[in-house]
Amino acid sequence: MRIGLIAMSGVRVRNAELATLGVTLPQFVSRGKVVASLPSLGLLTVAALTPDDCDVEYLEIGDIRAHDRLEPFDLVGISSFTAQIGEAYELADRYRAMGVPVVLGGLHVSLMPDEAAAHADSIVLYGAEGAWPRLVDDFRRGRLQRRYEGLRARVFEAPNYAVPRFDLLAGRPYNRVTVQTSRGCPLNCEFCAASLRITTSYQQKPVDAAIAEIRAALAARSTPFLELADDNTFVNKKWGKAFLRAIAPLEVRWFTETDISIADDEELLDLLAASGCRQVLIGLESPDSGGLDGIDPRNWKKARAGRYLEAIDRIQSRGISVNGCFIVGLDTHTPDVFEAVRDFVSRSGLLEVQVTVQTPFPNTPLYHRLAREGRLLEDRPWDRCTLFDVTYRPKHMTVDELEGGLRWLFGQLYNEGEFIKRKRHYMDIVKAVMA
Amino acid sequence: MSSMHIETEVRALISDVARVDASAIDRDEDLVERLGVDSLQGLQMLAAVEKRFDVRLPDEDLGRLHTIARIADVVGRLQNGGSS
Repeated sequence: MRIGLIAMSGVRVRNAELATLGVTLPQFVSRGKVVASLPSLGLLTVAALTPDDCDVEYLEIGDIRAHDRLEPFDLVGISSFTAQIGEAYELADRYRAMGVPVVLGGLHVSLMPDEAAAHADSIVLYGAEGAWPRLVDDFRRGRLQRRYEGLRARVFEAPNYAVPRFDLLAGRPYNRVTVQTSRGCPLNCEFCAASLRITTSYQQKPVDAAIAEIRAALAARSTPFLELADDNTFVNKKWGKAFLRAIAPLEVRWFTETDISIADDEELLDLLAASGCRQVLIGLESPDSGGLDGIDPRNWKKARAGRYLEAIDRIQSRGISVNGCFIVGLDTHTPDVFEAVRDFVSRSGLLEVQVTVQTPFPNTPLYHRLAREGRLLEDRPWDRCTLFDVTYRPKHMTVDELEGGLRWLFGQLYNEGEFIKRKRHYMDIVKAVMA
Repeated sequence: MSSMHIETEVRALISDVARVDASAIDRDEDLVERLGVDSLQGLQMLAAVEKRFDVRLPDEDLGRLHTIARIADVVGRLQNGGSS
């Protein structure tokens, strides 16, 4: 049996002016490009959960219009982010018209199951663990069910867990290879549409399993740079230190996403630097505490905002660069936020900065609140959930002010002069910590 | 330091930072395309070059030094007291 696993790939920006800016401004969509060029770890995991006697092919499709003829399979599995979900549905419809059964899965499908089911023979909700092997078995017996629910807890426990099929990436030009050590995040920010939506609680892979997976990834790829596909790696500092001690001997250079609390732990930072970590992405969200009010249920981020600059210094002084992420258009934001972000970035010495517009992804608390308040510009604006397109009425500014402010801020942050300033600052830090 | 020596040292630094064997890379090959070096690794390489040769690469060149030949050439000029 031949199974095709297809990831919808590529960056999407609908706003024509922003799309043009993305082409011309250095660093504007650099992080987006990195993410878009990463392999789909979810589908590599699905491949690993597939019985050995099936032939599995992994494909990425950036533009379905470029694919007049589709590769025939006995069964197709498609995964997509929200911004590309319309294209994923179109692809699914085309395969089904060819008589090829289609399974849809991934974050968007888990959040909008009824919508996805209209375009699929079957859907998989949450993780593939606990669902996919059963689905393949049912398919072979001719009794494929309409819906399967994967695990939301104990995801990384045997026998649920499988090492992703990194071998399927052979011969492909990825700059980075991804490995996951955790799923979920306890901060529970209102806007978050990441893996916390498909887990019941924070899931963390045992250190030895994470290291075994990293070894497998490195064995299959010559590319030495590793990206942890986590939303918040160092929630548990004890686990974090054990992991860092274990990864250090592998001599790999790597990147991950975490929160600002790593700066509070000197031992963790020292281990992080010695482990080969070269960059951490941290959701700062807003440059001051006032802007962060209510962003997470415990106001965890608000309580730390006053120490952001000091925390960034402490992390970067170890030679680990911080990719600081900001969201504009929060309900606490007035048009003053754009200058405030620019000034913060200038003072902070951040090597990389990512600014996105608040986005109500489907079925998130933010989406439901904005829908309740009648502030969504259209129902189900999925193709505009790009993180750069405005899909709602901001509270303290107009849509035009938000769009214009975003463009202005991009021009301020992503110009050659600022880019070089940030590069030079980072290089000076790296040199200072070199032995 | 001879230009050949500089190039040899640059190669060694690239091998160390990118964790690859850079000995087989052509001096004019684009490191981004050949090694899949991303911007972060690129800056780490250049920082290592500055530290090793005790030079300060011109800011305007930081985004353009993509080959061993170009890096070695700029370092050689800076060591000889010239501009890049």
